[in-house]
Amino acid sequence: MFSLKTLRGPLARLALALTAFSVTVGAYAETPPTVIRVGVATPKTGNPPAFTVGPVGVAYTRGLIEEEFKKDNVKIDWVFFRGAGPAVNEALTNKQLDFAFQGDLPSLVGKAGGLNTRLIALAGTRQHVYLAVPPDSPIKSVKDLKGKRVGFSIGTNIQTPINRILAANGLTERDIRVVNLSVEGIAPALTSKSIDAVFSWVQILPLKDKGLARIVFSDHENAAYACNSGVLVTDEFARKYPQTTTRLLKALLPANRWLADPANTNAYISLVAQMGFPEKTLHEDQDGEDALLQSSPLLTDYALSLYQGVADDAFRLKLARTRVDVKQWADRSFLTAALQQAQLTGFWPTLDNNGRKLAAK
Amino acid sequence: MSADSSTAVILPAPAAATPRTAPLAGVLVKTGHVLVGAIVPLLLLALWQHAASAHWLPVQLLPSPALVYASFIDLWQSGDLTSNLAISLKRVGWSLLLGGGAGLVLGVLFGFSRRARAYLYPTFEVVAQFPVIGWIPLLIIFVGIGEPLKVLAISLAVIVPVTVQTTKGIAQVPRPLLDVARVYRFSLAQTITRVVLPSALPTLFNGLRQAVMQAWLALVFVELLAAGEGVGYLMVWGRQLLQLDLVVVAMILIGLVGVVLDRLLAVLEHRLQRWRRNAF
Repeated sequence: MFSLKTLRGPLARLALALTAFSVTVGAYAETPPTVIRVGVATPKTGNPPAFTVGPVGVAYTRGLIEEEFKKDNVKIDWVFFRGAGPAVNEALTNKQLDFAFQGDLPSLVGKAGGLNTRLIALAGTRQHVYLAVPPDSPIKSVKDLKGKRVGFSIGTNIQTPINRILAANGLTERDIRVVNLSVEGIAPALTSKSIDAVFSWVQILPLKDKGLARIVFSDHENAAYACNSGVLVTDEFARKYPQTTTRLLKALLPANRWLADPANTNAYISLVAQMGFPEKTLHEDQDGEDALLQSSPLLTDYALSLYQGVADDAFRLKLARTRVDVKQWADRSFLTAALQQAQLTGFWPTLDNNGRKLAAK
Repeated sequence: MSADSSTAVILPAPAAATPRTAPLAGVLVKTGHVLVGAIVPLLLLALWQHAASAHWLPVQLLPSPALVYASFIDLWQSGDLTSNLAISLKRVGWSLLLGGGAGLVLGVLFGFSRRARAYLYPTFEVVAQFPVIGWIPLLIIFVGIGEPLKVLAISLAVIVPVTVQTTKGIAQVPRPLLDVARVYRFSLAQTITRVVLPSALPTLFNGLRQAVMQAWLALVFVELLAAGEGVGYLMVWGRQLLQLDLVVVAMILIGLVGVVLDRLLAVLEHRLQRWRRNAF
């Protein structure tokens, strides 16, 4: 064995000092950067403008991330993108963001296009898709869209469900005349009747209540059509600041936990209503949803299979250059650590590939 | 080089060579022009290739020439390129008919009637200052974002140069020619077809060529703004899906089509003005 004698040389002492130093550094927290840049693929809406939707919206409104990093004097720089997911990709390309809350398709398009990101948690799931037309439109079903001018935001997570909905009705994007609209441009385009139909999220429902639109189709019956979104971190940031990455996820978890309680659903809906949606509309959109499943940040096998489905479709439809292997791209380690620190391991059910609950480990 | 030496072999007498080298020299000069013109694009291509392979910019921002070429071939084979180009050209065509027609009428009016010029030209001059982009918000409110918006916006871009150049062309018809026409008791139709049109033609074509260029520029803008098909839409698609090679393909296409349209007009102008050389 070795005795203290072997530690007497100057080299050995240096080695000892270095080991001690690295152990200390490992035990102590890393120094986080002075600014964390967070991009959100949704514009703020409402008056005053608010972003309250999903766990990220709740965390933003309550300043949870700011609170987590308060003692380190870290500034959280939130950027809300009117151009939604595609604009987030442009910002990531220019290295202007560390974290992104972004829909499945744009994040996969970004990854396929060479953006070095990791998917570290789910930010939202089962975001519903609606097909709306003017009230007096002759369009009665998805099939009637053939040859019509249909507006949506190209490159956002709504595009994959649209392609699936069209395919289920024997159509492709080539059979309709796609008009690219910004998230905010969708409602005005429909009310001015400058297009025949729009695919949109919950944003379109208020028009229905005002009698300005008729909903032809909604995806409530088929989970395969709903949109998902996730939390991304740049590979560079994750490698440089692994603990900060975990801490950011940990800061989000109280929001997830709050959303998981069905008793908070009404309070949550009032909160989202600040973005300019009538509460009635939101109740309609959220009807029949399982609060626990919807609030889950877990990258379960099921969640990853949904992402992989989008990745495969995106590649097949030439929306993405390459086929992303979601299992390779996703990194569950930060979330696992964050759940442990927040003592929430096992709180959300893990799901298998088909969305069935797995027995708790 | 080889052409030179071969002529030297075929033509033994240097004296006889003089008349025959003239067309050859012409060809050489023309090839020279083409070669000289190709220097900058080739240098740019080399710079682009180097920048791409040295990763001066992320791949997502600067696709390599090879990728752009592959996308071009892919789009060509799938028919996307031709169908989008056809739609864009159709929009420009209609706008040229509409805007060009209106511009011609206005120009003739301003050219012939001093009163029309006095009453309308100042207004026209002010309105002509509005860029097409400035019209868009108003046009969207009136006609929506459909096909009429595109054709109207591009037409507006066309009217101005056509009107201005037509007016100028007519105003510049030499007085003595008109006097001669009067002496020969030309009818109005004769004066127009025999005197005014031929002499105003170069200026008219100048206006038309400017109009085509303006139309093509306006088209790209309008299609970027609101379109479901066309070359500009191809660019929107590429940008939304982080495929900048599509954007570059569309840019190159826009440039090439612009040049082709301009050349076509130049050829047409040349043909229509053949009488000039025949006259002398």
